[in-house]
This record gives sequence, structure tokens and C-alpha cells, in this order.
Amino acid sequence: MKDAGRPSAPADLRALAERLVGDARKLGADEVEVSVVDGREFDVDVRRGKIEHLVEADSRVCGLKVIKDKRTAYASSSDLAPGTLRGLVRNAVKRAALASPDEFAGLAPLAKKRVDAAALDLFDPAVAELDPKTKIGLARETERIALGDKRITNSYGANFGTNELRSVLANSNGFVGEYEQTYCELSVGLQAGGTDNRVEDSWFSSKRHFKDLAAPEEIARMAVERTVRQLRPRKIKTQNVPVIFEPTQTSWLMGFLFGCVSGTAVYQKATFLAGRLGQKIGNGFVTVVDDGLMPGGLGTRPFDSDGLPSRRTRVVGKGILESYLCNTYAARKLKLRSTGNADGSGVSPNNFYLEPGTAAPQDIIAGTKKGLILIRTLGHGLNSVSGDISRGAFGLWVEDGEIAYPVSEITISGNLGQILNDIEAVGNDLDFFSPVTGPTIEVAEMTVAGS
Amino acid sequence: MDGAVSGKPMRSLPQSPALSYADHFHLDPTDLSKVLGLALSSGGDFAEIFMEHRTNDFVNMEEDIIKETAESVSLGLGVRVLSGDKTGFGYTNDLALEKVEKAALTASAIASGKAKALPARVRDKRLANSAYRVSVPADKAGLRKKIALVREAYGAAQKSDARIVKVKAYFQDSLSNIAILNSEGLFVRDTRPMVKLVCVAISEKNGRRELGFWGGGGRVGLEYFQEVLTPRAIGEQAAHEAVILLEAGDAPAGEMPIVLSPGHSGVLIHEAVGHLLEADFNRKKTSIFWNKMGKKVGSDLVTIYDDPTIPSFRGSYNVDDEGTVPRRTLLIEKGVVRGLLQDRLSAGLMGRPLTGHGRRQDYSNAPIPRMANTYIDRGEYAPEEILGSVRKGFYVASLSGGQVEDSGKFTFSVSLGYLIEGGRLTAPVKQATLIGTNIDILKRIEMAGSDLEFGLQTGTCSKDGQDVPVADGCPTLKISKMTVGGRT
Repeated sequence: MKDAGRPSAPADLRALAERLVGDARKLGADEVEVSVVDGREFDVDVRRGKIEHLVEADSRVCGLKVIKDKRTAYASSSDLAPGTLRGLVRNAVKRAALASPDEFAGLAPLAKKRVDAAALDLFDPAVAELDPKTKIGLARETERIALGDKRITNSYGANFGTNELRSVLANSNGFVGEYEQTYCELSVGLQAGGTDNRVEDSWFSSKRHFKDLAAPEEIARMAVERTVRQLRPRKIKTQNVPVIFEPTQTSWLMGFLFGCVSGTAVYQKATFLAGRLGQKIGNGFVTVVDDGLMPGGLGTRPFDSDGLPSRRTRVVGKGILESYLCNTYAARKLKLRSTGNADGSGVSPNNFYLEPGTAAPQDIIAGTKKGLILIRTLGHGLNSVSGDISRGAFGLWVEDGEIAYPVSEITISGNLGQILNDIEAVGNDLDFFSPVTGPTIEVAEMTVAGS
Repeated sequence: MDGAVSGKPMRSLPQSPALSYADHFHLDPTDLSKVLGLALSSGGDFAEIFMEHRTNDFVNMEEDIIKETAESVSLGLGVRVLSGDKTGFGYTNDLALEKVEKAALTASAIASGKAKALPARVRDKRLANSAYRVSVPADKAGLRKKIALVREAYGAAQKSDARIVKVKAYFQDSLSNIAILNSEGLFVRDTRPMVKLVCVAISEKNGRRELGFWGGGGRVGLEYFQEVLTPRAIGEQAAHEAVILLEAGDAPAGEMPIVLSPGHSGVLIHEAVGHLLEADFNRKKTSIFWNKMGKKVGSDLVTIYDDPTIPSFRGSYNVDDEGTVPRRTLLIEKGVVRGLLQDRLSAGLMGRPLTGHGRRQDYSNAPIPRMANTYIDRGEYAPEEILGSVRKGFYVASLSGGQVEDSGKFTFSVSLGYLIEGGRLTAPVKQATLIGTNIDILKRIEMAGSDLEFGLQTGTCSKDGQDVPVADGCPTLKISKMTVGGRT
């Protein structure tokens, strides 16, 4: 590594981003956007008391978007050597000519308002300062407590991971912004039962601040409980019954809903909710919000990848579809306003959730004569074009308001459009364990297929 | 560690052949031996440097325009140290020597002992290129040719039926240069091409919309799209599927006989069997198969291989991501478990031979046991005989994916199926999930066709957050009964 051409790391990423914007402009680009992300990661797996895998690394990536004569080209690189970046900028400006002119292409205009990143509480210096011994210790302790339960027969191990990220965005409309954020996560995965009648599950806590992370005892207890409650499952006959979604299950349902209200899917007609703005798509229980400003939220950020300030958007209000979630491009296609959901060239959720109701989850169960509590799903089976859902499932069978026994090797099927109209109860247990989330809900009827 | 002597620097790292790599990695033999020395500075059984330089091109067409093109470069290096069953791993995409040294020190910290010596000699292992079949290299072809392919697929889908309302098509190619140096004195390089052309068509009729998907590619060049699968065929097939689905009814629900179409249904073998024969799950005894080596778990008709050496396939490679030349691996023979997919870590701990299935998504991940091209071997029946044997059942025509857990419970998602009535295919059926437990299903394979095929060369498999390209295949298969998750 003696030669002069060797990659050297530019120290000031903000200056790098601004310089690349200038370079591309000089080469003839009409509009330019540059992002740089600098990350540091730590990750340890502990299994059966021993460190199994330990990773520590720094990494960076630079992304570039160039528009010339309304024609767009992208480039990205994990090699930040000046020579490589110069080449990519030059190619991108040249390559733009090969794309078609697109009247909707173009950067977002510079917003007047800015969100103060510091007020969003996204960075915890304590995460950056944790020493490896503490991190390894937390994983080890979580697994040790879980394995202390005699019903647990094997372990997938416990994991502790942290991420520190600095994101810089600059564009030729004069936007420059940057923010720092941290994440930490502690989890454990378990098995119970013998080799031929295994059940498995896991639990985790994921936060931006170390002090907010659940204690090892709490994570271990949840993981054990979630695993052993599936022991000795029965098969059930195929039937239509009410289905109660636990919050982890409402979470994927909301993820699916996000895909169906994403502006990109709407203009591509790849969602059954295209053309439904302002219409009733669910019953009065359904109020869904996307909030990019929630302090400390896992999905919070000061600005999106178009450089627009984050905001709070009511997507569904008491069953009425009030807003799609758009980046600048999708908004122009749909003649709407961006909602600050740009992520790369696509759209992603910020903190996207179903508003909680008033019912205690145990009361929802108690009010169910016969039905299924959905606790886990397997497989994909989500079709946003039609709204159809069909997934492998694990659940708890409810009879006369009480949990009777676990069931497995079943599938659930239904349609999101129908489900949104068939919600009969919404729990009060909203928790932001994930940026896309919701409380316990009960759906009047879905097909549960068994034998 | 073979042939290790006391801590002298490496003397004989290959010079001239490595030059093309030096352009990317800027690491000369002295640097590399220094880094490897640091990796072994706290002992450990094995250390390795994995270097990768990958370039990607992408062309995307939607809304009747070439919406964008993209180029990306990925460059970096991962250092791994094994100590017993522990793995230390550090990576960096900043190849300044101090950053590379830091990655090596990070990895070394997993071990605690006396420094290990560097290998006395380094073998520059020459690979025969058997896995890749390229006559028109995509990386040299220029973007205009790739744009033409995308336009052709897009246009074919759009024109093939008036009910097609939206089309998307994209082309992607990559060229990955990897180099591996390890503490056993192995130095090996590989240059891996990959191309993929995909078309998605959305049909609409009376307010109902459906989606069709088709595509192809592999470790080939652009000639593939003339000789094997044309862009036009890709577009037309995507449209065809979208249109058929407009007439498709809800899937039936409950247990019934299943017939799997050849090729596409290989996903079932991938999920139901392949994953649970990956060595890590068996070494840790989490897989249902861990205590079943040599035992009969399926019917006599079930013989399953994984073969990373099939020329031109997506899952193929000349060498795996830890330097092992792969071989076709017998997993199940006539229903009896015979082998596992091994990587270096598990093979060493289990005392089993390497099979060449240690793969990683990229330099920022340590290798783990993975599938490559997995298939169930052909049987004796003509496909129509198999269909003819079913009075009432469900035919799986195409699949969109699947998932399995270590207990053997698996699902797979059927995007298009048909009812079987009186030995014939009747009404088309959309969106269904099949669920079962692998050892039940393997026993219920009653008939296997003579028509072994492989599915679309577009598949990607995810495990532990790492995506790798794979392919899978099977002949027409009959399963006596399985739960279909439709609606009543």
C-alpha cells in the first residue's frame, strides 16, 4: 500500500458531499443529489454461554443522483477513493443521456422549514461508549436466564448489537443536512420440546437509547413464555373464525398496509388501494398514522432522502383513506404533496402505526367464544395488487373466552381490504418495539385451514 | 494449520497474476502477510482475508420510459479468525492499511493465546472455469444493449394482451472479483459474472388487478437472451400469468393431494429439505435432521442433491467464499439422509469433509453453509400419468417463495395453481399457501416424474440476513396430502 493511488478516506463527509454536487454540476448535470452514510457496527452472538460470533466494523457508502435534461442516472459506491468517485460522477452525467426524459424527475424544492435533528433525540452517546465486555455480558446474561428454565431444550443464542450512523445529504437546490443516530438491540431465540416436536420463538428489545433497552430478565422471560406456550400443538379442522392478532402480527399487517398506501405502488397501480383516496377503506376502528417526528422513535429522522423535513401524516382517519405516503417523485406523478417518506429512489415508512383503542387484550380474548390468536406466521403470501393474504400460521385456540391449546400447521387467509372493514376490537397495548407497529386487534372472520 | 512454521513473513505470495487485483485492493504481498499475521496474533485455528470488488449495472423501465440507470461499486475486505467454535470477524471498505489492520485485530480478539505462525508457503490455486458460460460479457457490453433488452421485454408484455395495464422491466448485471488468502497458505481468485432480466405485468379487468412475473439469467453473458430465453418470451410469460390470474378463483382450503409442476416447485425442496441439511443447524442440533444421518426420512422416490457446479446456473461458482472447490453433494438418497451442506467451521467441528457450500453475501459477512443449486432427482412416471392418478386435488403451477423453521414446519406461496378434477387440470386458482412438516411431506411423495426441470434463474435465498443467488429444481411430483390454505 505504498502507491499514491491508494484509497484514502476523506475526513469531512459533509465537504465531500458538497464537493461531489459541485463536480457533477460542473460536468453538466442540471440537478445533483449526494448522500453519504458513515456507520459503525458491533454485533455479538452468544450461544450456550460462549461467544459464537463477534463482528466489529466501520463502513461507508456514497450515493449519487444526477439529472440532466430531465433524464436520471444513479450511482453508488462503498469505495470512497477520489478516483473512483470522480469516475462514477463522470459516468453518471454521461449515462443520464441514455435514460428517457421524465417530466416528473427533479429534486424537491428547498424547504423553508427545517426540523432540528437534536430535538428528535436520535443519538445516545452511551451506545457509542459501551465497552465490548458489557455488550457481551448482556447477551450472555439474557441467554443464561432463559436456559435456566427447564422447559427450554435448545438455544439459537442471544445477540447484542449496536449501530452508530452519521448521514449527510446535499443537493444542488442548496440543501445540506446531516444527523447522527444510534441503535441498540438485545435478543434471544429458543427452542422447546424434543427433536421431532420442536417449537421455537424469540424476543428482543430494540431502542435508540441504551437506558431504554429492556433488561435481560424481561427479554428472557418473554422469549421463554412465547416459546413454551406452543408446546404440544394440535391440528384443527378448516373453518372460518374470528382471528386475534397479537401486536407482533398487527405489525406485519401494518407493514403490508404501508406497501399498499405507498405512492410508488399507487402510481404503478400495484395496490388495490390505488384510486381510493378520500374513500372509506375500513371501519371506524382504523386510524393509521405515519410520524417522522416522534422523539426517540426507531423510524424518526429530521429529513427524508429528498431533503424534505419530516412530518406527521394521518394516513387513515376512522376508516377514511386520507393520504398516500409519497416521496417527491410519486407525489408529482399523483399530483399530491410529498409526505417526507423518500428513501433512496423509493418510499419507506417512518413510525407507521395503527392507533390504539381502549380494550385490554385479555378482555378481547375473554369476549371471544371461539377463535384463533395469531402468534406467528411463516412465509410470504401477501399480494398488494389484490390485497390477498395467505400465510402459514401458529396460534392459540380460544374457546369460551379462554386459551384452550396451541395450534400449528395451519394457514390463515383473507384480504386486507376486508380485514380493515372487519376489525371488531382494537387493544390499548400499542408499543413501538418496531417502527411499523400496532396494538392487538380482533378481526371478525378469516379462513383458518387445517385438516 | 498445514505447513506452518515460525513467524517469518510470507515469502512467496504470487506476484504477477495478482496484479489485476492490486488495482482494486492496493494490497501487496507484504501488506497481506502483515494483515494475516495480525489476525493470528492472539492464536486461533484459522485466519482468512476475503477481498471483493464488485461492479453492478442496472436499467429500469416503467411507465413506458427508461426511468433510470444505475451503476454501483462495492469494494471491501473481511478478516475472519476461527478459534474452536468461535468466529471473530472484522471488515472494512476503507483499504488504508491502518483500517485493514484494525479489521484484522478485531477478528483476532476472538482467540486468546500465543500468536500463530504464518504459512511457510502460499499456493496460488488455479481454478478451472467450469461454472460460468459467457460469450458476450455484460460488463463490456455497454448500456445501450442492456436498455434494448429491457425495452423488448417490456414491449412484449404490453402488446401481448389488452388487459395488461402496467408493466415494469429491469436488467441487472454484476461482475464480482474475489480473492481469498488464508493461514493454510491458500490463495485463490475468482471472477464471477451474473445477469438477470425480469418483467412484471399487471392486468386489470372489472376493477380486479393481478400480477404476473417472469425472468431469467444466471452466470452467463448477454447471448443467453438470444439463445436460451428471449426478452420477448420473458415479457409474454409475465403478461400471460397476469391475464390467467384474472380468471382465477380462490384456492380451496384443507388437506388434499398435491401435484407439483416441474421446475418451479423446486422451492419446496429448497425449503423443506435444503435449509435443514445446512451443517450449522445440525451441529447446533436445532434442525430436525440433526440425529437422522443414515436414517430414512422420506419415500424411496426422494433423492436430493445440491450441485454448485452446474454450468451457467445462478447458484454456481468455481470456488466457494472460503476457497473450497465445490462438488455435487448427495443430501438424501432414496429417502435416507446421506449428507450435509458444509462450510469450513462446521466441517472442522463435526469432523466431516468440506463440500464447498461456505457462502457469503459479500465481504462484510462471514461465510455460512448455504445451498447453491438444489434439486430432487427424476423418477419414472410420465407427468400425465401422475396427473391422471388424482381424482380431486390441487396442482401447483408457479410459486413465489417459501420459508422454513428448524422444526421442519415450512410453507410455500403458490402464485398460480389449478384444481385437479378427474385427472385433469380445470379451474385456475390464485394466491394460496401450502404448509407442512418436512418429514411428513417427504414420506408422502408418492410419484416422481421423468421430467426434471429447473425453475426461473432469478431466485435469491435469505439466511441470517445474507442474500445469495440460488436455483432449484424438481420433476413433477405427487404428494398424497398436504394442507392448502385457501378460503372457504
